[in-house]
Order: sequence, then C-alpha cells, then structure tokens
Amino acid sequence: MDPDWHDDEKLIEALRDALASADEVPSAFVEAGKAAFAWRTIDAELAALTYDSAQDPLDALAIRSESAILRSLTFASDGWTVELELTPDAVLGQLDPPEVGTVTARGDGGKLATAEIDELGFFVLGPPPNIPYRLVCTTQSGTTILTGWVTP
Amino acid sequence: MRDDPTVVDLVTRARDGEKNAWDELVERYAPLVYSVCRRCRLAQPDIDDVGQSVWLRLVEHLPGLREPAALPGWIATTTQRECFRLIRATSRVEPVDFVQAPDVPEQAIAEEEVLRHERKTILRTAFAELSRRCQVLLGLLMQDPPAPYDEISRRLQVPIGSIGPSRARCLTRLRQTPALARLAADGPDDRTRG
Repeated sequence: MDPDWHDDEKLIEALRDALASADEVPSAFVEAGKAAFAWRTIDAELAALTYDSAQDPLDALAIRSESAILRSLTFASDGWTVELELTPDAVLGQLDPPEVGTVTARGDGGKLATAEIDELGFFVLGPPPNIPYRLVCTTQSGTTILTGWVTP
Repeated sequence: MRDDPTVVDLVTRARDGEKNAWDELVERYAPLVYSVCRRCRLAQPDIDDVGQSVWLRLVEHLPGLREPAALPGWIATTTQRECFRLIRATSRVEPVDFVQAPDVPEQAIAEEEVLRHERKTILRTAFAELSRRCQVLLGLLMQDPPAPYDEISRRLQVPIGSIGPSRARCLTRLRQTPALARLAADGPDDRTRG
C-alpha cells in the first residue's frame, strides 16, 4: 500500500481522485468500447485514418467549390491504402495496390452496403450509409482490410 | 495487481467469446484509455477515435495475449501510440508542441499511467467493499468543499461528535478491505514502517 495512504487526509484525497476519474469517462465512450466486441470475428488488417479533408480547412474549401465531393479520407495500413471520396450519392473508393475483391460497409449492427472492387482497385458504394460505418475490403488473394470509422 | 486473477479470468472468458467479460474489461480499462488520451490533450471526437482503435486492436489482440496480467501496460502503450498517430495525422493543420517534444520515453509515460490507473482501481474497488453507511459518510466528506458536519449529522442522523471517529473508522476499514490488504501483503512499501 502507498505509505501516503496511512494518513487519513491523503487517503481521502486519493479516494476522491480515484472516484472522480471514473466519473469523467463519458458513458458513450464506454458503450462504444463494448460494441467493439462485435468486430471480434473479423480477422483484418487495420487501416487507420491518415488524412481527412474535414481536418484541413484549405482542402475543405477547395473541395466544396470544385465538385460534388463532400469530403475525402485516406486510411492506411502497413501494406494498403484506401482512399475515399464521399459524395451525396455514393462512396467512391480506391484500394492501393489495386486488387479485385469486394467491399462492405459495416456498422455496429452489421452490413450496410456491399460493392465490387474492380481490377484498378476502384469501387462505388452506394447509396452512402447515413450512420457511422467502417469499410471491410476483402481481396481476391485473401487479405481483409478494415478501415477506421467514417461518420457521415 | 501484477497477476490480478480477475483480469486473467476476464481475458480468458472474453477470448472464448463471452460478451459480459469483454464489457467488464472495457469498463475496467476505459478510464485508463481515457486518461492517456487526456494527457495527450486530445479533444473528445479524437478521444472517441483513439478509443475505437484501441478496443478494436484489443479485440484482435486477445487470442494472442500470452500474459493477460500484462494487459494494462499493453492498453496504455497502444493508446499512446494511437494518440501520437492521430496527432501526426492532423498536425499539419494545427501543430501541437507536444509532438515536437516527447522527451519522456513512450514506455515510461505508459507505465506511469498504468500505475496510476491500478492505484485508482484498487481504491474504487475498496470503496465499493465498504458498508453503505461508510460510503455515504466518506462521499459527503469528499465533496468539494466537504459537507459541513451539521449537514452530515442531519443526513446520517448521528451526533456531530461521532462524525470524526466514524470517519477514522471508515478509513481504517477501507485500509483493511481485501483490495487494499492484498496490496499491503505483496507491496514492499510497508516493510519499512514499524
């Protein structure tokens, strides 16, 4: 036991701190963690977010003025990159290096949409899910790549 | 806490697909993930992102986890890496001085967080083991500012003069709870005390 805890005042202080730090964690944060168990059965390479136009004021402006693209995102794992462009009608994606396969958008509740990935690594997934989702890309050679969350 | 049997048991059960055990692991370690994120000064949406990555990696990592007792350290280190990764990915927009000066080794920060988390978990567990009456009394005394003795006297229906001794008794019981007593048994800290 911490020698400090023999002192009544210090023990009360430590206890207050311990109880407070449990309280500061939002329950939504804990619930999201619990929901992650649903992904247990997917054996995939994780591709993490490396670029988000929403985080980049200049790009966001350029994108808005030029096209129907609402947002562009890049996810990368060690060997793979998934680039996405979100448009009102579809999610346009590019898997790099290109390989034929299928792509599925999944939420915590299961599959939301599925599309083919062509030989250039390109895919069109639509209509875009309107709830948070992640993409699971399964290539012909048997690799599964799971992106981070996309929040429409 | 190095070989906390509860953690080993939860990991084994979660690995076998038991959702309840997973939920308990998340509840237990969410404050650790959260506090590491806070230390990296992340905002709430980023904390949520990091949290997702960490839990997901943990889901993947469970089957290969050889030493469940090492779990807290793994969680802290993974959280920290995810924080750094996120800061790097977004720092083109808003440079964060923290990234330029990580002069403390990654492992050291993570270990410190784990120790802090373990101490807090032990205290919370010990508190939960106290009688309802002690919990209420200590709760009132822990308010900031502490509840005045006349209010405590009214709420608990005890004479003001007995509050001080009750407080001391409750704290003694807290030290004697299995959670804290176990720590006293394997911790070297107490040996120097006469």
